Amino acid sequence: MNGPTRSAYRVIVVGAGIVGLYTAYHLARAGAGPVLVVDRGFLSSGASGRNGGGVRQQWETRATVRLARESVAAYRRFGTEFGYNVWFRQSGYLFVAETEAELARLRGVHELVVSEGLPSEVLDAAAVARRVEGIAPGAVVGGTYLATDGTLYPFPAVWGLYEAVRALGVEVVLGVEVLGVEASAGRVAAVTTRSGRVEAPTVVNAAGGWSGELSGRAGLAVPNVATRHEIFATEPLKPFLDPMVVRASDGLYFSQTMRGEIVGGITLRDGAGVAGGMPSSPRFLREMSRALVRLVPRLGSVGVLRAWSGFYDDTPDGFPVIGEDPRCGGFVHANGFGGHGFMLAPAATLRVARAAMGEPIDLDPALVSPARFLSNDRPPSVERLQLG
Amino acid sequence: MAGAPERRFFFGRARRSARPGETLLDALARGGWPALQRSIRYHRPRGPFCGVGYCTGCLVRVNGRPNVRACRYVPTDGDRVATENSWPSPRFDVLGAIDFLFPHGIDTLHGFVRPRWATRAYHRVVRRLAGYGAAPEVGRTPPTPPPPPVRRTVDVAIVGGGVAGRAVAAHLAHGGAHPLVVDRALAPEPVAGGELLASTTVTFLPAPVGTGDHRFTLLGFEEPDRGVEVTARTVVLASGGYDAALLFGGNDRPGVVTADGAFALCGRDGRRPFRRAVVVGGGDRVGEVLDRFGDAVAAVVAPGGISPPVVRRASDEGIPLYPRSRIRSAAGRGRVRSLTLEPRGGGARFVLSCDAVVLAHRRLPTSQLLFQAGARMEWRGGPGAYYPVLAPSGETSVPGLYAVGDVAGILADANERAAERVAAAVLGAPASGEEPLPRVALEGPNELEGYYRELASLPRSGRWVACACEDVLLHEVEEAHARGYRGIEVIKRYTGVGTGLCQGRYCLPDALLVLSILEGRPAPEVGYITQRPPAVPTPLAAFAAMADSPTGPEGA
Repeated sequence: MNGPTRSAYRVIVVGAGIVGLYTAYHLARAGAGPVLVVDRGFLSSGASGRNGGGVRQQWETRATVRLARESVAAYRRFGTEFGYNVWFRQSGYLFVAETEAELARLRGVHELVVSEGLPSEVLDAAAVARRVEGIAPGAVVGGTYLATDGTLYPFPAVWGLYEAVRALGVEVVLGVEVLGVEASAGRVAAVTTRSGRVEAPTVVNAAGGWSGELSGRAGLAVPNVATRHEIFATEPLKPFLDPMVVRASDGLYFSQTMRGEIVGGITLRDGAGVAGGMPSSPRFLREMSRALVRLVPRLGSVGVLRAWSGFYDDTPDGFPVIGEDPRCGGFVHANGFGGHGFMLAPAATLRVARAAMGEPIDLDPALVSPARFLSNDRPPSVERLQLG
Repeated sequence: MAGAPERRFFFGRARRSARPGETLLDALARGGWPALQRSIRYHRPRGPFCGVGYCTGCLVRVNGRPNVRACRYVPTDGDRVATENSWPSPRFDVLGAIDFLFPHGIDTLHGFVRPRWATRAYHRVVRRLAGYGAAPEVGRTPPTPPPPPVRRTVDVAIVGGGVAGRAVAAHLAHGGAHPLVVDRALAPEPVAGGELLASTTVTFLPAPVGTGDHRFTLLGFEEPDRGVEVTARTVVLASGGYDAALLFGGNDRPGVVTADGAFALCGRDGRRPFRRAVVVGGGDRVGEVLDRFGDAVAAVVAPGGISPPVVRRASDEGIPLYPRSRIRSAAGRGRVRSLTLEPRGGGARFVLSCDAVVLAHRRLPTSQLLFQAGARMEWRGGPGAYYPVLAPSGETSVPGLYAVGDVAGILADANERAAERVAAAVLGAPASGEEPLPRVALEGPNELEGYYRELASLPRSGRWVACACEDVLLHEVEEAHARGYRGIEVIKRYTGVGTGLCQGRYCLPDALLVLSILEGRPAPEVGYITQRPPAVPTPLAAFAAMADSPTGPEGA
């Protein structure tokens, strides 16, 4: 049976997805001391191995735009830094609007993004049609396009980080579930796992869709909700589509990967919670196929190769939860990324690692701290662009 | 069908014709061995391999529609058929140079990261190499909207119209039921006492737990893109089996085919696209191959032993036998010309000249739908594959879901009894505590695993293709292991093995054996691959046409 080799660590990171591994990487580089990463599944079994690989900087709030911009820079250098090619292809994110009202909302995003120095453009219907060849006439009134957004392959990022953290001395234990978190005198003392009890003064909750459950097991309830989202990939085709296309109204998104598959999904509001597992539903296959064929009719004869699903770790205000829990010293949140952990991880985890080391972080606590859920104040801001 | 006119179509610029009932592959094979494809990464020549609509060897473009499997398409007058993914033709493809330039393969996981300024250029080039067919032309598709879907609500649906499925149908009809048989064949024979639906079932969902609904939903399509939706209280899965691939050098060469594939290429008129085939295997399936085209078989080669009936049969016809032989490599530019072998017990290497290699050494269960439905599966060491856990009645762990025939691992001579029992159980007969029926061996030894174990320590030559759809080489699987990645689910994501069009049917069974040897643990611990819907690539149009509020449950 595999298990941790030591009885105590400086930091235990729960979750070996992109957020957990990146956090461990920053911790190890900062010389944090012995770090353990523990995960209930195998590498890339959670959302880090199930997402569509989109990385965008178009957001409704400045803080998110900045994190995303920093992450884009990190993914650009990922290959040379980690030795794994994530094929980060900056061929843009194209948000399309079906109505003038949606376009007005996208314009707001555009103005914010431009004010951060990013080259966003507003496109009319004809310009959208040039970027999405074969789009149904009259299907959209326009959109916004940011050329430096892009898509990547999630898997190599996981491999690269896994190998990098192990080379830095981090221990990664897979297939071991964390059952609980012990605290004494208001501070984290240890975690209990299926292969025994391990001590640490700091525990990072980077458990993605399972993070709400883990916080609950630690007695530190947060309003995170795991929402199942489905996605599919088609047979590989020769390249015909460059940008990631996202429709604001229903969350339809699709892009063509390096391998030529069209990968995409659509937002369906149904069952929440990790208990239901990760099945694919006929409803998704129908709704997604219908939406895609209506928008790009020529794709009707293309074969769907496989469908799968994964969990978004959603928060009520659309912001992630980053930082130490005010109810328990040493319990650090790195969750609530709402399906966008992959695109925000490189920058966000830099802050997580600092918080885990007890250092101050440069993110507005009113936006990201778990403390925001403990007061009755209205959130100062809400990030609603939780699409694609 | 006799007297029906031939269908005339264009293949590139050439005029060709298909006889009534012939598939496109059939028609193309009449002009010799069809060269239709190139592989996705190295642009190696590829030809028809599986013959049953799973592999990438016969993908062509028909009337602007990409990735049409020639073996699953019946031509109509005026069709325009073109080859794809090669220039100027599949036989002489300029990009075939990649295969020579990179004898050790292209490492897309670690390569192409330096210099950083070249990133865009790398992306452009690599992207252009990827993909099979080009996207459908703008404005050409759909020329007509897809036909409205077929919907049925029935008591009993039988998936698979082979021997086992039809036997169950006959018993059910005899008992007064009117089963629906859903069969993948392009023109299946009618079913006495039941209804027949020519459709490929691609998604299969049991009723959601706790809703009080006890019906199954089956989604499928009829070629090319008519959606099919079936709701049934009871489902009998009789999806049968298929012939497996085998690992050896050059195992992806045109001319290397499964027995299914060889049958698909041999016309009903006695036509053979080969004259000197080497048949691989030593069991019943080899006997079936000899029955069908023994006159075109040059030798029978088996990794293990050869069964007495096959020995008798081959000696009668003067066909040489090579039991317990290691297949080292297939050679030939383009199509296979020879096979290099050596006796496993020791002895000199020798070469058999041939124009086809027919793989008939291993039948695997077509179990994708069982996995999808959440039936409990168990590893059966004899054949080295996963089969459903069955009650004596034939019921799986999912109430109302039964399995019979090859997919259940029932031995051939017990099939009739199995059909009878399943039908009785479906008709409501009380279980009478019967003995379980004879099935494929639960315990090993698996012959092929011993064979691969021996090969693991020997030097290799030629490309050993672990996954033909994605062009993944065997050494990439071994390197992933060497880097510390464990378990088939992780190796799949690391190497791409099993992520291609055949949904892993032809690569994962062997990858599992190889990993079991490398990891030093039994195959069930190496894991199994989650079978994701659809079981066969399904046109978007077929799914798009499904009803808004289907009669069946919605999944979960």
